[in-house]
Amino acid sequence: MKRAPLLVLAGTVAGFTGVLIFHTRPATLMQPAAGTGANPSRSATATATATAGNRGVAGPRALRRAMGASEQFGYGVLDVKVTVHGTRITNVSVPTLEVAEYTSQQICEQAIPLLRTEVLTAQSARIDGVSGATYTSEAYAASLQAALDALRMK
Amino acid sequence: MLMAMTAGPDRKPGSILAARPPTRRAPGRRSPVPRPAYAGAVLLVAGAGLGAVCALTITAETAGQITAPGGLATFAGNATGMVGTYLALMMVLLVSRIPVTERVLGQDGLLRWHRRLAPWPISLLVAHAVLIDIGYAQAARSGPWHEADMLLFHYPDVLIATIGLALICVVGVISIRAIRRRVRREVWWTVHLWLYLALALSFAHVLALGQSFVGHPLVQVVWSVAWAGTAGLVLVYRFGLPVLRSVRHRLRVAEVRPEGPGVVSVICRGEHLDRLPISGGQFLFWRFLTRGMWWQAHPYTVSALPAPPYLRLTVKGVGDHSAALARLKPGTLVAIEGPYGVFTRHAQRRPRVLLMAAGIGVTSVRALLEDLPRGAKPVVVLRAAQRDDLVLEPEVADLVKRRGGQLHELTGSREQAVIDQYSLRRLVPDLSDRDVYVCGPEGFVTEIVELVRWLGVPDEAIHHEAYAL
Repeated sequence: MKRAPLLVLAGTVAGFTGVLIFHTRPATLMQPAAGTGANPSRSATATATATAGNRGVAGPRALRRAMGASEQFGYGVLDVKVTVHGTRITNVSVPTLEVAEYTSQQICEQAIPLLRTEVLTAQSARIDGVSGATYTSEAYAASLQAALDALRMK
Repeated sequence: MLMAMTAGPDRKPGSILAARPPTRRAPGRRSPVPRPAYAGAVLLVAGAGLGAVCALTITAETAGQITAPGGLATFAGNATGMVGTYLALMMVLLVSRIPVTERVLGQDGLLRWHRRLAPWPISLLVAHAVLIDIGYAQAARSGPWHEADMLLFHYPDVLIATIGLALICVVGVISIRAIRRRVRREVWWTVHLWLYLALALSFAHVLALGQSFVGHPLVQVVWSVAWAGTAGLVLVYRFGLPVLRSVRHRLRVAEVRPEGPGVVSVICRGEHLDRLPISGGQFLFWRFLTRGMWWQAHPYTVSALPAPPYLRLTVKGVGDHSAALARLKPGTLVAIEGPYGVFTRHAQRRPRVLLMAAGIGVTSVRALLEDLPRGAKPVVVLRAAQRDDLVLEPEVADLVKRRGGQLHELTGSREQAVIDQYSLRRLVPDLSDRDVYVCGPEGFVTEIVELVRWLGVPDEAIHHEAYAL
């Protein structure tokens, strides 16, 4: 068959464009499962707002949220979202976490809840970090600091 | 070469085979008609897979990852890994004996692609391993040796995949022409089987770590189905079908007959041979289940259409295996794989044909002659070094006579029996209106194909089969 290379080439072009069209959104590699403390879904955020309202914390500046900058680290990218009541950090989450491969994903999923606890205890971005997840900890702290800066916190 | 002849106990099956009137179309099935459209569809799908794999590599990447430390090397590592693995899969499919492609492209055509493609997956996969190591090392700000240790012993499934890659490299090295010539065919073949093991070993790390796979269940499913499908095709067509056919036809050696200097016919007796879908000019892989031969299968042409309950192959003793055929004992069980080959009547594009054979190539021409449609008015040219080497000549002469064709026998050295434009034009004045079938040693086939092409026979009307001696 003389047309064989042509057919293969046509198939290649078709397959290539087909997948590119099918994949309109950029692939987000991994999203940590909800419940690890990271990546709360929209409805969860909405609930948190409602709860805050019910508690009757008064004042226009009582409940504030901010996103930290996207921080790249050796194995991927993350950013941190912080919730502050008055001057108190009440929640930290990681809406975006993209890592290159499975092992890093596991490490991050283990580290992020620990980092969150550290932040809530320390009430600042000056944390010790999680050993074995140094790059993740550094990126987490840096993004958190950016978020706190945006809120003019310490 | 010594010829140890063993005659059949009470009858001469070979004489039964030869006595059948050759003009009557032999009963039995012919190999199915090739369908170029199906083969085209297969090629299109194969190409689409390659395109999809490239695109998946790109969509799995974000700008942030590329610019991160080691991002570029990691991306290149992913791309080479994806494409290399896909090409390795194609290598397997090319030799999986899928009938749809086998009938259209022919086994030697597919093997040529297989050989031509081979360096790519091997070098891409080696590049993949090196690039990933470099990329991860840069990302972790550590050295490549430290990172190799991390990858091998702390990442899931990477160690076995690396063992697989080492096996692939061994297979690649042993297939390099210069080395392959020094290795026995059986050793080479056995080492080649490691490739299946190597690919199986590499499968897990792709799904566990592959950037296009982790968190993409659809891609994982499609990929797994493609691999399982390939494994299924190999199992069915390289293992299942041959075993089924061997068991069904229960071939046993009935007689070994000398045909000429160093040439023997092996006549096998079997069951249901009218159900074996074979066309004249095709070959089978033969495995004679006797001590010292059972573990090797060799391709030999079937030198006549099956005459149930008999099937005949004619072989010139040039290698260890083909020479050993002369010593086969009647009653030896025979396993077969095939039939394969596109040197058949299905290839014929124009009503009349010219058949040319040198040496043992006459076997294909003999069987093809029996299978040609009426009105083919075959002109047959046989060339041999000496008259004794014109094996099966009486059968060919008989078939040609009954079909109203012409037989030309050229014996002597190349200088004495010249086939050039003048002699060929004289022998076959209507050459450019005929389909040309050429069979024989590689040098002869190349020479004749070039000659008839130059004499105005279009490529689609030239069919050839070369014997690797």
